Amino acid sequence: MARYGMVIDLKRCYGCYSCVMACKVKNHTPPGVFWARILKGEAGKYPNVVRQALPILCMHCEDPGCVKVCPTGATYLDEDGVCVIDTDICVGCKYCFMGCPYGARYAVEEWGSYFPEGLPVTPLEEFQARAFEEKSGFGVPTKCDFCADRRSFGKEPSCVAACPAEARIFGDLDDPDSEISFLIKTRRGFVLKPEVGTNPKVYYLPPR
Amino acid sequence: MSSKLHGLVQTEWGWLIAIYLFLAGAGAGAYVTGVVLDFMGPEWATIAKIGVFFGFPSVLIGTLFLLADLGKVQNAWRVATKPGTSWIARGTIIISVFLIVSFIHLVFWIFPFSGLENADGLRHLLGIVGLIFGIGTMVYTGLLLGDAIPIPFWSTVLLPILFFVSALSTGIMATILGSSLLFQDSDLVHGLARFDILLLVMEIVILSAFLHGAHRLPSSQHSAKEVLFGGLSRFFWMGVALCGILIPLLIDAIFHNNFMAIVAALFGLAGGLILRYVVLKAGAMPPMDAAGFSFRPVSKPKLPMAARGMVPPGNL
Repeated sequence: MARYGMVIDLKRCYGCYSCVMACKVKNHTPPGVFWARILKGEAGKYPNVVRQALPILCMHCEDPGCVKVCPTGATYLDEDGVCVIDTDICVGCKYCFMGCPYGARYAVEEWGSYFPEGLPVTPLEEFQARAFEEKSGFGVPTKCDFCADRRSFGKEPSCVAACPAEARIFGDLDDPDSEISFLIKTRRGFVLKPEVGTNPKVYYLPPR
Repeated sequence: MSSKLHGLVQTEWGWLIAIYLFLAGAGAGAYVTGVVLDFMGPEWATIAKIGVFFGFPSVLIGTLFLLADLGKVQNAWRVATKPGTSWIARGTIIISVFLIVSFIHLVFWIFPFSGLENADGLRHLLGIVGLIFGIGTMVYTGLLLGDAIPIPFWSTVLLPILFFVSALSTGIMATILGSSLLFQDSDLVHGLARFDILLLVMEIVILSAFLHGAHRLPSSQHSAKEVLFGGLSRFFWMGVALCGILIPLLIDAIFHNNFMAIVAALFGLAGGLILRYVVLKAGAMPPMDAAGFSFRPVSKPKLPMAARGMVPPGNL
């Protein structure tokens, strides 16, 4: 029993896309599917302009919009507070896409190739398509699950392990002595789109 | 692609869901029209039968379009196992009851049996049950979208009202279409068309208020702009405003003959379908702004006229 969460330090993140690549390599997601992704934003006016990267993933909310609208209960919070999808009872109605304010879900109809059409499918891609089908399946929404398999070995999610700036910190929000609880309290941690009222468990630390 | 990465525009629901929302609304609207006309007296009986006749098949075909959009059709029965969890689950129950009632109504009143013809009390009782679930079906199509809280363009009280009025109007148009095809000029059908003028005027008012409200609200402003001036403006101005509302309104107001009534009804039905499509496609989430930074998709530089066709439509 835990309540897993993540802290992303925007002061440390320099938008290198390592987390995006690590997620794609580990989860074998097809082209166009980004369980972890990065937005680039700007602030300020011409001579004083700042650019900032914003890594986004499933926020594993306490009151998730996707769970509220799911007609079958296929998407739910497991005992670790991680939002997961039971693909055996999902109907694929895609209502959860409309309930998620962060656009964390991706529908995959088939495993498209990374290479131009007409080229032979590489053995690696065949393996990835099989692995993806076993894990997530087609015709249902897919999303980040905080790397459930890595967590079962006691490791942190692959985006956290790959971050060269150590901007991502993974931990237990229930444990008051954990690093992420400390960071959220001491460095004014905030969440995205608080007005929707989903209470995300992925916190951000301000860039300045 | 860039819009999808920014989590802005919903791309998952398209024509299939639009057709489902339209057929469910128009079918239930026609059925409700038929039942209400049946209450109004025996002289309306034939037109009432046409309205009731449209109910079951349109909603059934609409439901098939919904099933075609599902990613895992083999699991579709599970939706009924958890009522009350979501508007799709509640709507499934409402539509199922409506399908059963309208099927009984159709089979025992019109074809192949006509046992309810003389049993007025029983038929009216069945009509009241069907009326409740028919209105439920019409409103549900709006509530389904209205329950998506992250999409501010949809989650307003005006959307269920707009869909209800549009569903009733298209239902009456379907009834007029069937009646005009079957018999010659009838004063009753023209009376129905005059009532439809009232509904179309109401639709103009509600649609204006809906779009005005969406345009004033910063979070749904880009959806309203997309509908009024952006990639969906062709569909909206030509399809919804002109074909769906203005042409039927003018034809119903000026002409009183069978042929023009059929033309008006066809235009109005097409407009109802395009209205559902425009509302679906304009569904978008507000941009992800945080810590004083604006994380919006980079706006593309304006291209010369010749190359403008290369810009994908609907790109916010």
